[in-house]
Amino acid sequence: MAKELPGYGTINVPKERQVPFGAVTKAPVCTQQLFITSNWRVVRPVKDDEKCTRCLICYMSCPDACWIFKEEEDVMEWVSDFCKGCQICINECPSDALTAVPELDFPDGVVRLDKPF
Amino acid sequence: MAKELIMTGCRAAAEGAKAAEVEVICSFPIRPYTAIMMELAKMVADGELNAEFIHGEGEHAQLSVVLGAAASGARAYTGSSGVGVTYAMEIYSPMAGGRYPAQMAIADRTLDPPGDFGSEHTDAMCTRDQGWLLGWADSPQEVYDNTLINYRVGEDHRVMLPQMVCQEGYFVSHIPDKVILGDQSQVKKFLPPYRPIGPLSTTKPVSHGPQIRPDQGAPMDAMRAAVFLDVPKVIEEATADFNRIFGRNYDPFVDQYKLADAEIAFFVMGAHANTCRKAVDRLRKQGVKAGMARLRWVRPWPTHQLANALGHVKAIGVVETSTSYGGAMRGGNLIHELRASLYDLDQRPLVTSFMAGLGGETIWPADFDYMAKVLTEMVKEKKTKRYVYWIGM
Repeated sequence: MAKELPGYGTINVPKERQVPFGAVTKAPVCTQQLFITSNWRVVRPVKDDEKCTRCLICYMSCPDACWIFKEEEDVMEWVSDFCKGCQICINECPSDALTAVPELDFPDGVVRLDKPF
Repeated sequence: MAKELIMTGCRAAAEGAKAAEVEVICSFPIRPYTAIMMELAKMVADGELNAEFIHGEGEHAQLSVVLGAAASGARAYTGSSGVGVTYAMEIYSPMAGGRYPAQMAIADRTLDPPGDFGSEHTDAMCTRDQGWLLGWADSPQEVYDNTLINYRVGEDHRVMLPQMVCQEGYFVSHIPDKVILGDQSQVKKFLPPYRPIGPLSTTKPVSHGPQIRPDQGAPMDAMRAAVFLDVPKVIEEATADFNRIFGRNYDPFVDQYKLADAEIAFFVMGAHANTCRKAVDRLRKQGVKAGMARLRWVRPWPTHQLANALGHVKAIGVVETSTSYGGAMRGGNLIHELRASLYDLDQRPLVTSFMAGLGGETIWPADFDYMAKVLTEMVKEKKTKRYVYWIGM
């Protein structure tokens, strides 16, 4: 064939914009700071330590692993960066230790952020 | 020792998976592909194949299971037909974007309604833009061969993409034909073990399938597109190695039959090529300079290879076995991409399409005679009068 046909060119994604292969990233054992998902949240669970019995039902029912039991301090810790505010833990808590509080009530509420992260 | 047996396309696919020593298989029944899983289940039960055989609760689950298996480093295999293929639609893009090189066998089937079970390319063609490798075989032999070639290409670290190995339902999947099964030493020489990149691991924890931000979306898409620039080279290497090791003679992209001096050509995909070759022979005896080009890969689409193979032909008839309702040519899918591939040639062939083999209908030799008549008239009149002809209507 005489005529040369157009090619596809090359695709060069600048290094700083490249996404890891298959979007696979190293997972720190506790939280993945590269992909924070908390800006979906409208309300957040606030706990009453007096009522909490450390039964771990919130820990088991959270779909995003946002409740951690701090054994040494004997306290449940909430993971604010990943809680999407689904309220399952509030629904499941047998001792009514959790309440849904609107993000707007907090000075650092995710709805107040200029940038999403 | 390589052995020669008579078997269906379904059995050939299962033999291919067995030769590839797949480690995880996920099944869910839908005809006609079901027989592949029946054969594999028997192989596992008889101790011939050491694989985890999981019965999914649907096609969406099937694909999810093999995604997980591939993510953890196993060579994974699944399959489906017709509406089963479309039921799993959500998983195709994450599987390609996450770069999980599992394989899916398709024995194609029409989509509903109203529940026809005949062969048609529409099911797997629906998935063609999800980032998978995709192609049709024309015989049980090619099904076996493509199973191995696709694993080799898909698992290559320059590619790392899932593959759809398609065959026509019934025409290939259920009609026995001669198949030469390779010796396991040949398979070992051709297909290295699967080496995952960043697999799920308890010792080196990684995150798979995370949320990304909108500003990461464009580079992600560009990187996925860039992979396809490298795929053709890998296919060429793999096909050459396969031909050498197994003694076959495949063209990597376009199976060409009597094309060199052809004036009219049929552009086909899959087993209808077998009838087409005979039709070409008969037309040649009648003095019609006919030829055939059979597409082996829909993705990646071999743009330049097709322009090279078909550029000199005067009129091309695209035999479509899939539907694109309301599409540019109001017929099937292949004509759009074939016309686009030929657009930059100085002398473009005339191109029309024939809707044939839909709903599982046979494309008869007489149908090819009719198509040849239309193409010959196009050459004589030097124009394309219609974009699409519906065969038998």
